[in-house]
Amino acid sequence: MEPLSSTSVSSTRELLKRSILISQGAEAAIYKAYLENPSSRDGFGVFAKTNERECDDSVLLKYRFQKQYRHPSLDGSLTRARIAGEARALMRCLRSGVKVPGIRMVDAAEGVLGIEWIDGMSVRKLLPGGSEPEDDEVNEGDEFDSSNDDQEDVGTEDPLAAYGVSRDHLMDLIGTEIAKMHLADIIHGDLTTSNMMLRRNTNDLLLIDFGLSYHSSLVEDKAVDLYVLERAFSSTHPESEPLFASVLSAYEKRVGKQWISLKKRLDDVRLRGRKRSMVG
Amino acid sequence: MPGRHRKPSPLKAPETAYLALGLEGSANKLGAGVIKHDTDGSTSVLSNIRHTYITPPGEGFLPRDTAQHHRDWALTVVQDAINKAAVSMNDLDCICYTKGPGMGAPLQSVALVARTLALLFNKPLVGVNHCVGHIEMGREITGAQNPVVLYVSGGNTQVIAYSRQCYRIFGETLDIAVGNCLDRFARVINISNDPSPGYNIEQKAKKGKRLVPLPYTTKGMDVSLSGILTSIEAYTVDARYRPRGDYDIDSGDIITPADLCFSLQETVFAMLVEITERAMAHIGSKEVLIVGGVGCNERLQEMMGLMAQERDGQVFATDERFCIDNGIMIAQAGLLSYRMGHITPLPDSTCTQRFRTDEVHVAWRP
Repeated sequence: MEPLSSTSVSSTRELLKRSILISQGAEAAIYKAYLENPSSRDGFGVFAKTNERECDDSVLLKYRFQKQYRHPSLDGSLTRARIAGEARALMRCLRSGVKVPGIRMVDAAEGVLGIEWIDGMSVRKLLPGGSEPEDDEVNEGDEFDSSNDDQEDVGTEDPLAAYGVSRDHLMDLIGTEIAKMHLADIIHGDLTTSNMMLRRNTNDLLLIDFGLSYHSSLVEDKAVDLYVLERAFSSTHPESEPLFASVLSAYEKRVGKQWISLKKRLDDVRLRGRKRSMVG
Repeated sequence: MPGRHRKPSPLKAPETAYLALGLEGSANKLGAGVIKHDTDGSTSVLSNIRHTYITPPGEGFLPRDTAQHHRDWALTVVQDAINKAAVSMNDLDCICYTKGPGMGAPLQSVALVARTLALLFNKPLVGVNHCVGHIEMGREITGAQNPVVLYVSGGNTQVIAYSRQCYRIFGETLDIAVGNCLDRFARVINISNDPSPGYNIEQKAKKGKRLVPLPYTTKGMDVSLSGILTSIEAYTVDARYRPRGDYDIDSGDIITPADLCFSLQETVFAMLVEITERAMAHIGSKEVLIVGGVGCNERLQEMMGLMAQERDGQVFATDERFCIDNGIMIAQAGLLSYRMGHITPLPDSTCTQRFRTDEVHVAWRP
């Protein structure tokens, strides 16, 4: 294979070209690529081998392509900041023991972030209401969704059963993982059930898509984060509101005494924000 | 949505043509219009009259003065609407008025007019949610079937989609509305309120060259705008700011009002398009409809168009006649609910400043 040229086209672009497009979300296009052994000739250790199936070192590339509607300089700085911010948040999570995908490569200038490929399914599809095509929520918008092909084998039965995880236990896992993240002062910024995945075999719950995350120790920010999830639960899984209560109780157990002030603020946030009655 | 069977509309074809008068006055526009739903299912706008309360540059409209304006003009505007439509008050099937949301005093003065007319001519009253009025008029004019709606005006900023007889709010502003942000900035740099501050900002922005850095605050499908207003105001006391907009020869590093208008529009609209795109991706819809006063901004429409193009989608927007608050949209939404058997009895014909879009039962859609 030819060494990647560093003159006209960047190695990241080359990699993208040879990757498989998985889905196109609002924010970014998701590709699947394969990493090769670092001992190979190109020196980067990164390029796609499309002919080899399913090796362990498959990566997920998140490509924040340019938005035509946005002013180019605004778009450029936003993309760089978001890629760097996302990588930073993932690093911080990894260091604090929060379960998130590992980082494989970062190219902020090109807008590409490469992370570990997760074999599993998004929580949204594991819960009732999340995967029904008749519903208003259709799955095609899911960014980061690597589980499209898994849908078939599950069929119409409860997809959770295939994983051997009870619904309550899943809510427990969610609450605990969010609590761990908040204890590390990381705010996810876009907590929804589609941004959580259950890994096959190990049954780990991973938080994904840190594109809107930031660092903050404020009770306010954590409360808003929880509130966003609450809204996501009620809009995506209409009849499953008690589920969120069990997420909260697992969260409470994990955060400990911080909970008192958080609970108070969460009640405050519920009264304003989206639910607030608008004037005019 | 592709591949989905369309359910039959619960709205029955009218046996005789319906006529409705709509009265709107939730903010500084007083509007009256007559709409006709014909037996063949077609809808026609017979008249659409509006009078706007315009304040001097640097001033906003206060509730008390706005209500006074509406009281002063109510008879003229209603008379014009009836004359233009060439109908008689007795031909009307119902009188529709804005129940809310909006400013209290102006709402009350218009509700009073509606009540009086209803009693005088013995017509049923229909209270209408202002936001639903915008959506229904937008749908009627553009023919959009089931779009994601971006509702942007002086008092509201919401991303809405229809589901199970309810307009659900997916994202909205966490603080001030986008129109409010633009209007208040217009006041800071003394831009005229005639015909509207937003229009004048749009014209000025066309001359802007420099994009100044501003906060970019999208939070999921929500946006926050008050911080942007604060930071753009800070530029007007910056040493580089030239209020008269003159580029002097020796110093290139200056900021003009046009630059600020340009930067504000680019930043705020990019945020709005981004949350709309998120909602579209979330729901899986390819249509987007822009309604509300800010919706007639052509730059916003252009940006939304670019976004929709990337997604193989389509943008629907209307011009100022239907985007900016008007009476006809109240007549349209009111008549739809009247045809479903809904009327507002006189004792309940109140108005309210707070009335969320998702509180309305949208009986007329499948």
